[in-house]
Amino acid sequence: MTKVDILQSIRKRRPVFPILSPDNFEPLPVALPGSLIEWFKKSLKTAGAEIIELKNTELDSHIAAAWPTILDFTQPKIRAEYPASAPLDKLNKIEHALFAGNFGVAENGAIWIEDKDLPHRILPFITQHLILKLDAGKIVATMQEAYQQFKLNDIEFGVFISGPSKTADIEQSLVYGAHGAKELTVILVTLNQKNITHND
Amino acid sequence: MMQHARKAKQFLADEPRTDWHNQTLWIVRQKRDALAASVPGWETLREKASAIKEDALSHLDTYLEQFETEALKNGVTVFWASDADEFNRIILAIIRKHRAKNIVKSKSMLTEECGLNHFLQKEGIEVVDTDLGERIIQFRKEIPSHIVLPAIHLKKEEIGETFHEKLGTEKGASDPTYLTRAARKHLREKFLAADIALTGVNFAVAETGTVVVCTNEGNADMGVHAAPVQVHCMGIEKIVPRQEDLGVFTRLLARNATGQAITTYTSHYRKPKQGGAMYVVIVDNGRSEYIGNPQYMNSLKCIRCGGCMNTCPVYRRTGGHSYGYVIPGPIGSILAPQRNKQKYKDLPFASSLCGSCDNVCPVKINIHEQLYRWRQELTENKQTPFVKRFAMKALGFVLSGNKLYNMAGSLARKAVRYLPDKLLYLPVNAWGRGRELPVPPKQSFKQWYLKNHKDIKS
Ligand code: SF4
Repeated sequence: MTKVDILQSIRKRRPVFPILSPDNFEPLPVALPGSLIEWFKKSLKTAGAEIIELKNTELDSHIAAAWPTILDFTQPKIRAEYPASAPLDKLNKIEHALFAGNFGVAENGAIWIEDKDLPHRILPFITQHLILKLDAGKIVATMQEAYQQFKLNDIEFGVFISGPSKTADIEQSLVYGAHGAKELTVILVTLNQKNITHND
Repeated sequence: MMQHARKAKQFLADEPRTDWHNQTLWIVRQKRDALAASVPGWETLREKASAIKEDALSHLDTYLEQFETEALKNGVTVFWASDADEFNRIILAIIRKHRAKNIVKSKSMLTEECGLNHFLQKEGIEVVDTDLGERIIQFRKEIPSHIVLPAIHLKKEEIGETFHEKLGTEKGASDPTYLTRAARKHLREKFLAADIALTGVNFAVAETGTVVVCTNEGNADMGVHAAPVQVHCMGIEKIVPRQEDLGVFTRLLARNATGQAITTYTSHYRKPKQGGAMYVVIVDNGRSEYIGNPQYMNSLKCIRCGGCMNTCPVYRRTGGHSYGYVIPGPIGSILAPQRNKQKYKDLPFASSLCGSCDNVCPVKINIHEQLYRWRQELTENKQTPFVKRFAMKALGFVLSGNKLYNMAGSLARKAVRYLPDKLLYLPVNAWGRGRELPVPPKQSFKQWYLKNHKDIKS
């Protein structure tokens, strides 16, 4: 039994000296370079993404005008068209796909996407152009905070995406669009204040 | 001449290329420095990462069992492999079981270590490496020269030539964007036809049975989600105990590797896709022997960021292939003798012991101390050539006596000044071969100090 052998080999040797607990370190200070939103935008730009800021009331008209053939995966109808059993050839033809991100991370521009957002797991990678919309209020500072936003045990597949797919494997020259999406556009959505007061 | 020195000489023969290699990696190192400096509490993060890894290694048996229990609950099949051969056979069995023909693989140093591609080839099975750099070297039948930048030793013209031959790109074309697009097209076809996707593992979370894979290209995800069967291969040391630990490592890894704030994709796989299968293969291959070894255990904390390579003055000027082990550079030079003392006996000497690797290592491995210990151990075991051993003995004798040391120093200052190079770089002087001596000062530090600090002294 290989498993037993390996575990025994570890048990026989594992150190008995007291180990410093990882909790023994002070929580890390976070120096905010401006607001979280500004920091997030700066990180995303560095990662090669485009950023658009829109009011929630402008969202639909802007998307329809900018990408007429976009597949909006926040809509149940579109989700039903591309289930987990969808043939890959069909998915490979997608040019523009839109998903809703759950939250963003200011220090690196990463956006968290998980199963519930994806009828087929390959979608955000196989599309040529990925568009993520994100509530501008849902930004945390660092990855340490990011991992407190969800429970891995609730997630079958989840991914932080920061920027378009890229490579620098040829002489360290940066090229966007290695295997995943060639472009990433992030739409930061702010609530239309007027609307809120009216609705209140 | 020893292996590393001999191959380094070949690499150094092309001076412009050596300079380019050195410069390119130094730029990566500078990008890393800028990003490390931009994170408040970077040092605390390193301490914490190191402590998490120590905790993980000290209770590795418990965490591995916990990981397996969780993974099984998630519908994942877990295999254990003692060595490379058992690992390769497990992969072969999975391939046979699913009658798979098309296999894609994203970056995994473990499969390189175990020689998986070669093994499967002999069984008539072709594995397609999908990381761009790895695909390039696979076309060229080479091995990676860096763990994060596998094709860093190649110029774009050489890659253009290879792609012309293998992918039919225009002859003489070497534009990186053009070549990357050609590879994208070629590899998309491979992804869409894949029956099995193999990946390495950056972190395996014990409490949830999740494996985490980080890529910039998106090749791991293209393969894993396209193929019905996903197989993740991990060394036993990839375990981190808790979900929150990922928050620490994902802040360090890409910053320290390539000077990015994070990799483009940080993917978390916990359950197989609908109608698909997911396997995790846990490999020992000699690692457990070094757990609890106070001298060398620390090396198992490595998260394979490649930072120590980018900073190493020897690596930068000799290239990854000169080391002759799958993991080159400082960390490779302490891992290689763990695998085979005789074969890799010269690697701990392929270092200036400047300690720069220790300073950049995100998990605070005492790499240069371990290099030094290996030198002692291998020299005691007489695994160093006689000339070097004899010279070291003589040196030890001279260094142990004050008078003898002073005299030897004064003689050396004169000798190096006046002796012809031929004599200095005599064949018996194993040191002289790879090194140029500086012009010696006229007086020793002791003489200078006594002269200039007379007043202070009295
Ligand atoms: S030894 Fe440290 S610096 Fe080198 S690859 Fe491993 S983690 Fe990175």
